[in-house]
Amino acid sequence: MSAPGKPEPTEAIARARTGDADAWGELYREYAPAIFRFCRRALPTREDAEDATMDIFAKLMRDNKLQQYDQSRSFTAWLYKVAANHCWDILRRRKTRQDKETEDLENVPLEHPDPNQLDRLIEQRTSEEVRRALDKLGSRARMALVMRYYSDMSYDEIADALGVRRAFVGVVLLRARHELRQALGQSGALAAGGTT
Amino acid sequence: MRADDNLPDDGGLQHLDEMTCLLYIERQLDRARAQEVSAHTQECAACRTLLRALERESRLLTRAMLEEEEALPARLAQFQERARRSMQWIWTVAFGLAATGVYALYSTYVAPLQTELEKDGFGGSNLLSLLIFQGAFWKGWQSMSTLLEVLALITLAGFAVAFFRKRVRRGSVLALVLTGFCASLLLQPAPAMASETRRGESVGVAQDEIIKGDIFLFGERVRIDGTVEGDVFLFGHNANVAGHVKGDVIAFAQTLEVNGQVDGNVRAFTNTLTIRGTVAKNVLTFDEVVNLESAGKVGGSLTLFVETLNLEGVLGRDLFMFGKHLALSGKIDGAVKLKGDLLTINSSAQVAGPIHFEGNKEPEVSPQAKLASPVDYHKMEHKPQYLEGHYYVWQVIWLAAFVIFGLVLFQLMPRFASEAVSSAERYGASFGLGVLVFFGVPIAAVIACVTVVGLFVGISSFFIWYAALYFAQLIVGAMVGQWLMGPTRETWPLIGRMAVGIVIVRIATVVPAVGGWIKFGIILWGLGAISLALYNRFQPTLAPNATSGPYMPPPLPPNTTVGGMQPA
Repeated sequence: MSAPGKPEPTEAIARARTGDADAWGELYREYAPAIFRFCRRALPTREDAEDATMDIFAKLMRDNKLQQYDQSRSFTAWLYKVAANHCWDILRRRKTRQDKETEDLENVPLEHPDPNQLDRLIEQRTSEEVRRALDKLGSRARMALVMRYYSDMSYDEIADALGVRRAFVGVVLLRARHELRQALGQSGALAAGGTT
Repeated sequence: MRADDNLPDDGGLQHLDEMTCLLYIERQLDRARAQEVSAHTQECAACRTLLRALERESRLLTRAMLEEEEALPARLAQFQERARRSMQWIWTVAFGLAATGVYALYSTYVAPLQTELEKDGFGGSNLLSLLIFQGAFWKGWQSMSTLLEVLALITLAGFAVAFFRKRVRRGSVLALVLTGFCASLLLQPAPAMASETRRGESVGVAQDEIIKGDIFLFGERVRIDGTVEGDVFLFGHNANVAGHVKGDVIAFAQTLEVNGQVDGNVRAFTNTLTIRGTVAKNVLTFDEVVNLESAGKVGGSLTLFVETLNLEGVLGRDLFMFGKHLALSGKIDGAVKLKGDLLTINSSAQVAGPIHFEGNKEPEVSPQAKLASPVDYHKMEHKPQYLEGHYYVWQVIWLAAFVIFGLVLFQLMPRFASEAVSSAERYGASFGLGVLVFFGVPIAAVIACVTVVGLFVGISSFFIWYAALYFAQLIVGAMVGQWLMGPTRETWPLIGRMAVGIVIVRIATVVPAVGGWIKFGIILWGLGAISLALYNRFQPTLAPNATSGPYMPPPLPPNTTVGGMQPA
């Protein structure tokens, strides 16, 4: 994905909009890896991620969705948003783990976990363990974490993609972190017993 | 969620809740609340530690997600090339159209020309005629018509593949669907075919033969002596309908004679049409000469775009003619409306209805002719159109019609219209494709009418093509509007530019002498742009030089683990 400070591929985008195959090739080579990784984090299986990546780019090209891109904004951010919407559509259609996610979002968790215990947990866990734990999360929790901490999407964009009110994006993220800690095997002590 | 209200006491100091801490590090708190949190963490070590832990958790999440443990799958790396290959059916269609076009050109122009040249003594000894007009070179194409039908089927199958690809991703299911499709074609029982096709140097329907359905006849000489219970489609040099056709006759021929009986209509594109028999319904024809001889009878109306009509027989209803010369000796039970050069009404003529004639010369009317009323004659005026007031009125009406047509189309298909306008910026590709589509589609439509693809597909294609000629002008209008007012992707601003641009385009197309050529160029350009936009829609083609190896992980995007206040 574009490095910070790297100029937007304005010229390639303009050419791609007119159907220039070479320009599409440039954009694909530049952005497909990051979009695949986004999908890999957001969707349950590798095959799903591959399919989703291809679908996203195929839709961009076939439907000429690029026309909807506002060049005054970041192309990377826009592309992540397209990917997020696509992945969330897939997950919503499958309705996996929806029971867990139908709980009332307005029920804000107000725990004050033991900071030292949380610190230790973070210290002990590797990236690999975190990735495995992410795979155990519910769709919405995982999607929210990926949108926020992988693709740096704003709360407004996350709210828009997940179809929740902006005020509850923080709640979704916090719940997701709790789920993650549970998956990491420490949440009981942290979330429930950590309050002082 | 104020800490003072919600949080437990810790030696007199209330802690911040985790939600507040998270919103703080994510810069989602308003300035006042963030200042409160900041002040609190100056004094509260536990909350400070919690903030730090949440930040570390954020960093851990970002790092875990960005770390690349898997290479880019080969399937994705090869996606570009596969996508390019998958869209090669478009080239199959293009090849199919080109092949049918070649066949049409041969059968319509080259073969008759060859015959004429042979008659005139150009036997084919020189290299040019050997290569171009010699029978050996072209004869093989006659037998290619079956192959063209197969090609048309393959083209259809290609469209089916494209259609199902969007819905079925798994190869096995797709294979099953295609297998079923092919099997159904192969198992199609022959008797179910409602039409019959015959080809040859001399083809026809024998005197005692009865054709139950429609029949397609291709040949140098076509003759029907028997009975056809359906429609007849004739393609040949000399055609003679001497038998009985219970349906319509649609003919493309050098000369057509109707000596027998046709219960339906006759639609003919010929050089000379002669009717000595009976046509029960109407005749619509584009010819050089039409003869309705004394024994001939047309039960319905006669509509002609013709140079000369000799009417000696009986016409049951009205005559509409656009041509040069009408010589009337027979009987017309309806009205006559003629726009042409000369009208001659002989002594044996009988006309039951009014006669309107707009021409260059006074009609020559025999006093013995039995007319219901005198000829209503108007001399044709030849002053330039643009000197007439109503010309401008019509231009304004046409312009308004164009704008309304564009408004409807741009509203119905805003994205496609925008894509087409974008495609128009590729001048070379647009013009090139425009030329191909302008000439190719009508030819392909005619061919589609006479092959297994079917009449419906052919006629539909022709009408879509015809509508696209107008749409093309709108696209170029929008393009011109963008030149003047700047580019836009929004629908209404684009419609506004189209309205402005179409005014200029229409003005350009009515410039005397060159306006026609300008219009032709605009149509080619716009037609190409539309075709290009359509092509792009079905074309996820990417550059063929796709890289396929593992990729380098991108740099980390900035994350939100930096605490602090959100700017007010």
